[in-house]
Amino acid sequence: MSEESERRESPGPAGTSRRDFLTRIGGGACAVAGAGSLVVTLDFLKPKVLFEPPTVFRAGSAVDYPEGTVRFNREQRAYVIGGGGGVFALSAVCTHLGCITRYLSDERAIACPCHGSRFDLEGNVVHGPAPRPLPWLEVTADAAGNLVVDSSIIIPHGKVTRA
Amino acid sequence: MSPSPELHVVESTDPLAVPRRVALVRPDTRPAVRRSDERYVMTFPHLIVREVILFQVVVIALSLAAFVFDAPLEGIANPIETPNPAKAPWYFLGLQELLHYFPPIVAGVLLPGLVVLSLAVIPYARINLTAGPLWSPGGRRLALALAAVTAALFILFGAFGCWPIAVPTLLTAGAMFAARGGAEGGRLRRALARVTLPEWIMTWFVVIATLLTVIGTFFRGPGWTLVWPWSGPI
Amino acid sequence: MSAARISMADWLRGSAVYRSIVRHGTADTNRNRSLVIFENLFLHVHPVKVREKTLRFSHTYWLGGVTLVSCLVLIATGILLMFYYHPSVPQAYRDMKELNYVVDNGLFLRNLHRWAAHLMVFAAFLHMLRVFYHRAYRPPRQFNWVVGIVLLIVTLFLSYTGYLLPWDQLAFWGVSVGTNMAKEAPLVGEKIRFLLLGGNVVSENALLRFYVLHCVVLPVALLLFLSVHIWRIRKDGGVQGPPTDADDPRQEEAE
Ligand code: HEM
Ligand code: FES
Repeated sequence: MSEESERRESPGPAGTSRRDFLTRIGGGACAVAGAGSLVVTLDFLKPKVLFEPPTVFRAGSAVDYPEGTVRFNREQRAYVIGGGGGVFALSAVCTHLGCITRYLSDERAIACPCHGSRFDLEGNVVHGPAPRPLPWLEVTADAAGNLVVDSSIIIPHGKVTRA
Repeated sequence: MSPSPELHVVESTDPLAVPRRVALVRPDTRPAVRRSDERYVMTFPHLIVREVILFQVVVIALSLAAFVFDAPLEGIANPIETPNPAKAPWYFLGLQELLHYFPPIVAGVLLPGLVVLSLAVIPYARINLTAGPLWSPGGRRLALALAAVTAALFILFGAFGCWPIAVPTLLTAGAMFAARGGAEGGRLRRALARVTLPEWIMTWFVVIATLLTVIGTFFRGPGWTLVWPWSGPI
Repeated sequence: MSAARISMADWLRGSAVYRSIVRHGTADTNRNRSLVIFENLFLHVHPVKVREKTLRFSHTYWLGGVTLVSCLVLIATGILLMFYYHPSVPQAYRDMKELNYVVDNGLFLRNLHRWAAHLMVFAAFLHMLRVFYHRAYRPPRQFNWVVGIVLLIVTLFLSYTGYLLPWDQLAFWGVSVGTNMAKEAPLVGEKIRFLLLGGNVVSENALLRFYVLHCVVLPVALLLFLSVHIWRIRKDGGVQGPPTDADDPRQEEAE
C-alpha cells in the first residue's frame, strides 16, 4: 500500500506520474487507432474503378453542323451545336440539380423540366433557378475533320472548334 | 458551501393508493418525485392491454390501406429521360419547393441544417424551460423587436419571391400582436395570450413546413409551374 | 365440452414445460401482475405500476406508440420482401414487377411496407410536435429529446434510401435530385455524394449502397437509438402529459 502510493506520487521528469503517463499513452493509442480505422474505411468505401458510360464520343464531321444546327446526344447527355465560328458542345445536365434539359426547337432555347430553368443556345442562364450556365465540353477535330467530344473536360465559354 | 435549498413538506392525500407518508422534497428535484402522491395502477393489465389494442388498431388500419391503395411503380429507371415534373417523396417536397426559390446551398444545406440544429438545442435553451407568456405588461421593447424581426424576415423572403414563407410570417406576427394584452380580452385572445415564444416559433415553422409541402405535393405541375390539383394527374 | 377445454388450458399452465418458461401463476393477484412485468425481458422496460393519468389518450395521443408499431410492421414486411429482392440493375425493377404480379400476396406486402413507411414518418413528426407542445423535453428529459431528433433523422434516411430500391423512374430521379443537393454543401459535399453513390452518377453502385444502408446500417442504428429512447422514458419517470401547474417552474419561483 505504502509502496504503491509512493510510486503514484513520485512525479516523472515532466512532472507527471507514471499512471498519468500510461493513461495518456493508452488514450492516445486508441485515438490514433480510431482515426486510422476511419481513414482506411473511408478509403475502402471509395470505388477505384467505375463502370460509368465512356465520356468520349464521336459527333460526326464538322460539315454536318452548319450554323444553327443543334443535335442532342441522348446517351452522352450533350448538345453539339454549330455556331458562327465553328462547332461547340454543351452539357445537357442542368446545373441546378442535374435533370436532363430539353431543346425546344421552336423557341430556340434549352429548358429544364424539373424546376423550370431556361438557357440560351450558348448555355447562358435565361432565368433561374439554375445558378450557373451549362458547361462547354471539349471538342477536338482530327485531320479528316471528324469531331470528338470529351464530356469530362470542361472548357471556357466561347471556345469554338474550327474544322 | 452554497446555502442549502429551501425544503418543502408534501403530504400524500390518498391513503388508499399510497400508504400515508411524509416526504421532504427539495424544490430542485425531478418532477417525478414531486408527483409522488398520484394514483398508480398495475402496468399489467392496464397499460399492456392498451398497447396490444394500439398494435391491433394500427396493423388493421395499415392492412386496409394496403388492400385498397397500391404502392406506385413507374417505368424502369432511365438516366436519359427526366419525367416532368420529377417529384421527391412527400416529406421532401417542402425542401424541393424551397429549391425553387433559393440557391441550392441555401435551400438544400443552410435551411435544413438550421432547422435540425434549432430542434436539437430546444431543451438546452433557457427560453424553452422558463416558458412564460410572451407579453408582460407594457412590453414596448418586445413589440419593437418583434416588428423589426418580422419586417426583416418579410423583406428577406419577399426578395426571393418566397411568399409561402413571407405571408405566414406576417400572419404569425399579427397573431402575436393580437395576443398583446389579450389576458383581459375574449376567449380566443385569452388563449393566445398564454402561448409562449417557443410555441409561437414552432407554430410558425409548422405552418410554413405544411404549406410548402402541400404546395409541392398538389400544386406543382410540369416545369414546376403552379397548377390546380384537379387539372391533371399528380 | 367447454369444461374439457378449460381443463386443457389449466393442464397446459400446470405442465412442467410451461412452468419452466412462465414461472408465475395466472395474473389474478397484484403480486403475479408484478411478476408478469419483471419476469419478462420485453415487458420489463415498463415499471410494475404506472401513474393512472399517463394512460389517458390526451396524455400522449399514443403517437410514439403508433410510430413504434409502424416500425415493427416495416421490419416484418421488409424481411419478407428481402427474400425476393436483388439489388442489381435491372433485376431490382423486375423483382418489383414479380412481386406485383406473380408472387402470392407480394403486392399486399409491398403496399404494407410502403404505407407503413409513410405512416412512420408522419407519426414521428406528430409525436415530436406533441412532445414539444407538452413541454416534455424539459429536465430530466432533455437528452431523450435529442435522441428523438436522431431517430427522426434516421427515419427520414431510411425512407429515402428505400425510395431508390424499386429502381423505377420516380426512384431514380428522386434520388438524383436529392443527392445533387448534397453536392452543394461546401468543401465536403462532392465527396460525400461520391461516397454515398459509389460513383459520380446514380448507378448500380448507388443501388447496392442504398440497399446496404436501408437493410442493415440504418435499421441497426434505429434499433440502437430506439432502445435508448424507450429505456430513458422509464428512467426519466414515465411519460409527461400536458404541462400542469405543478410542473411549471414559474409556479415555484413565484412561491
Ligand atoms: C423513430 C421514431 C420514434 C419512436 C418509435 C418513438 C417512440 C416513443 C414512445 C413509444 C414514447 C412514449 C410516449 C409517447 O408515446 O409519446 C416516446 C416518448 C418520447 N419521445 Fe419519442 N419516438 C420517436 C421519435 C421521437 C422524436 C422525433 C422526438 C423529438 C424530437 C422524440 C422525443 C420523445 C420524448 C422527449 C419522449 C418522452 C416524452 C414524455 O416523457 O412525455 N421521440 N417516444
Ligand atoms: S434541375 Fe433543372 S431546374 Fe432544377
